[in-house]
Amino acid sequence: MSLMRPIKQGLARVLGGDGDYSVTVPVMDGPLKPNDVIEATGRVAQIPGGANIAEIDGTLVASRGPDLLTVSASGEAAPRGTYDADITALAVSDRGAIALGLSGRGVVIENPDGTRRHVDSAGDRALNCVTALAFLPDGALAITNGSADFAPEAWFHDLMHHGASGVVAVLDPGADTATLIATGLRYPSGICPIDGSADRLAVSEAWRHRLVEISRTGRKVVGDLTEELPLYPSRIVPLRDGGYALCNLSVRSQLIEFVLRERRYLRRMIRDVPPEFWIAPALSSKHSFKEPLQAGGVIRLGIHKPWAPTRSYGAIVGLTPDFHPAWSAHSRADGHRHGVTSLVQTSQGLVALAQGNGDLFAISETGAPLAQAEDTAKDAS
Amino acid sequence: MTPLVELRNATKDFRGIKAFSDVNFSLMPGEIHAVLGENGAGKSTLTKVMAGVHTLSEGELLIDGKPERLETPSAALAKGIAMVYQENSLVPSMTVAQNIYLGHEKTFNRLRGIYIAAQQFLQSLSFHVDPTALVSSLGAAQKQMVEIARAVHQQARVIIFDEPTASLTPEEKRYFFQLIRNLKKNGVTIIFISHALEEALELADTITVLRDGELVASQPASSLDRNGIIRLMVGRELSGEIYADTTETRKIRPLGRKILSVENLSMGGLVRNSSFSVYEGQVTGMFGLVGSGRTEMMKVVAGVIKRDFFHGGQVRLFGRPIRYRVPAPAIRDGIVYVTEERKQEGFFETMSIAENIHIGQVVKNRGGGFQVMSMNSAREAADTWRNRLNIRAINPDAKVIELSGGNQQKVVIAKALIQKPRLVIFDEPTRGVDVGAIAEIHAFIKQLADDGIGVVVISSYLPEVLAISDRILIARQGKIVEEMEAGTATEESIMYAAVH
Repeated sequence: MSLMRPIKQGLARVLGGDGDYSVTVPVMDGPLKPNDVIEATGRVAQIPGGANIAEIDGTLVASRGPDLLTVSASGEAAPRGTYDADITALAVSDRGAIALGLSGRGVVIENPDGTRRHVDSAGDRALNCVTALAFLPDGALAITNGSADFAPEAWFHDLMHHGASGVVAVLDPGADTATLIATGLRYPSGICPIDGSADRLAVSEAWRHRLVEISRTGRKVVGDLTEELPLYPSRIVPLRDGGYALCNLSVRSQLIEFVLRERRYLRRMIRDVPPEFWIAPALSSKHSFKEPLQAGGVIRLGIHKPWAPTRSYGAIVGLTPDFHPAWSAHSRADGHRHGVTSLVQTSQGLVALAQGNGDLFAISETGAPLAQAEDTAKDAS
Repeated sequence: MTPLVELRNATKDFRGIKAFSDVNFSLMPGEIHAVLGENGAGKSTLTKVMAGVHTLSEGELLIDGKPERLETPSAALAKGIAMVYQENSLVPSMTVAQNIYLGHEKTFNRLRGIYIAAQQFLQSLSFHVDPTALVSSLGAAQKQMVEIARAVHQQARVIIFDEPTASLTPEEKRYFFQLIRNLKKNGVTIIFISHALEEALELADTITVLRDGELVASQPASSLDRNGIIRLMVGRELSGEIYADTTETRKIRPLGRKILSVENLSMGGLVRNSSFSVYEGQVTGMFGLVGSGRTEMMKVVAGVIKRDFFHGGQVRLFGRPIRYRVPAPAIRDGIVYVTEERKQEGFFETMSIAENIHIGQVVKNRGGGFQVMSMNSAREAADTWRNRLNIRAINPDAKVIELSGGNQQKVVIAKALIQKPRLVIFDEPTRGVDVGAIAEIHAFIKQLADDGIGVVVISSYLPEVLAISDRILIARQGKIVEEMEAGTATEESIMYAAVH
């Protein structure tokens, strides 16, 4: 057994055989069947460079770099505050506390009474790459730290370096330091309580394309909730009527999967090619002719084929209460609302932010467009 | 002008099952005539009547205006009618040149002379095939070329091509089209059967469309377009009578858990980088024309055939990668494949119903050691399934060969379902089955989905696909090219996806 395993793995690697070495990508069909919902739905606001959104007392707030902005009903963005570093994650508690992840600086919690807490480590791990925050029913704050080696802005560097240094931590109310509850994760980038439980947490592990359940008291990964997603999952948002909405960084492609398995090529690419031109997922693409996958776009007569291979993609997946995909909304290769990484449920539906072009848009809780966009994202770009 | 070949009120039945009926067909000299229709529409049988393979049950066959009865292909050839079959009819152990000259050998043959003549002949057709090569060593396209060359060599006045381009590459197709045009210039009349509508529109002077064994249109190609042909091919007004449970009148079952995930599957030239999923609690219909690779995809899943060793893709069952070399482990994992070839692969015809059903159980429980089999318990299990599936036989120990097609199919289904599957793949479950049994089989398939089992139904018959599927996958050229919701799919849209 012990000898056969490496032999089999070696054979699979050389022959392109089973398992990881088959370089396959799960198909997007059934509830994940591509559509143009994200492109077709109406725009709420536009915040170029926006990274996160949340709702405080019925008002949308968004982060752009180190700035926190208030977004009015008419789509106007006004400054609300500025922080020491880029804001990488946002969460708002029922009691009105705001938690902010700051790039390389940990987490800041601002309470409604004006007090402020700062946490920059969990156990012996620095919270340098806070990717998601969620308040739990008992008031604790769940934190995912995507990578020990890279900042949130360099998220795809962690993928291309086969990073597996992500951690999940919980900051209990009144505690000075966060407690590690899971380590060795491959870029945890979303977290939320399962069924409103303070003990059971759903965490999206982007590079393993799955959602896992983590037990807070057991301090371990209990098992998979959803696996083999064709996307790089990101933030998870519980919906009021049950179920969850899952944001995604980008879509998987066979080319990227292939490059990830070709270690020597990968090393040379990282060494010789500027990161923006790597064969790697991105939050937006089509900015330069030097980008990879241009030929795959099959642009004829000015039409970019929506099914073409792409580095960036926009997708929101609706999950049932037991975490099975139920519906999905997409912005495909020819779209512009890519990199949908932040979402909040409001009275108007699900409002999401596409980092690719900074559009804030709304879709219904069942993944339908809410209104035809008068000025489409394409015009804006 | 007198038609070269004419059929008047022609009907052909096989033991009461009509392949086509009351067809009036005319083939004018020097024309290229395309015969189109769905699988099972009667196209091949119609042309085989003209080629002397079958004789008419009713009606008349006229050649040059004179009534004829062609009993054999050689009789048809004597009248100048040759046919290039869809299934290869070459002798694999002979060389290309020997196959071309087969039946036309001189008393004293000089092999070298045949090779030289064949070489020149093949070159004149722009076919790059070595005349000294054994046919068994040739690929599908080259075999097709030899078939075509043989028909041309026989100097036929009428050449009938059955799906001539199915195995040709685009480059070879170009040569083939040029050859057809050259033959036409030389006064040869061509009939060709094709699923590729573009080919028919590009090449043909006249297009005839058959549907359910009836000729629905025969008109100049210039008066038809692609959508018009599709409408003619699938427009069954009577289909609702048999398949009344259309998507408008029934509820689509919601998706359950994903059972099967097929990722970038490849198998020879038949399955090419195909990806799809199957979910619990739903009937997933799979439609595609002959040669679209749909059966092969599911046979790979069920371990009947193996996927490519190099970059053959991946198959996951409940998220676990699987690769079966034989069906037994697939059966143990809960995947069963109900074959379309029930007589060859589905049952042991000289064994009883109970014995056949029991075999299913034996396969499922096959262990390493000895097994004690009790025929009493086998009969009990068989009785349960006979009642569940309403298998009608004169006595319970009747041999399967004595049953009707519908009841034979029910035995095959019982044999599969006794294995307690989690995923059942039905390949053409109602082919050659009477109408009453079709309804019973459909009801049973739906019941399986209602019970939460994943069901895949491969079918060439569009009304069947629409009537029982909750979700429809369409295969073309070895891959799944389209997924449709049963609520929004139409026969036209499915056919459009299957041929474009």
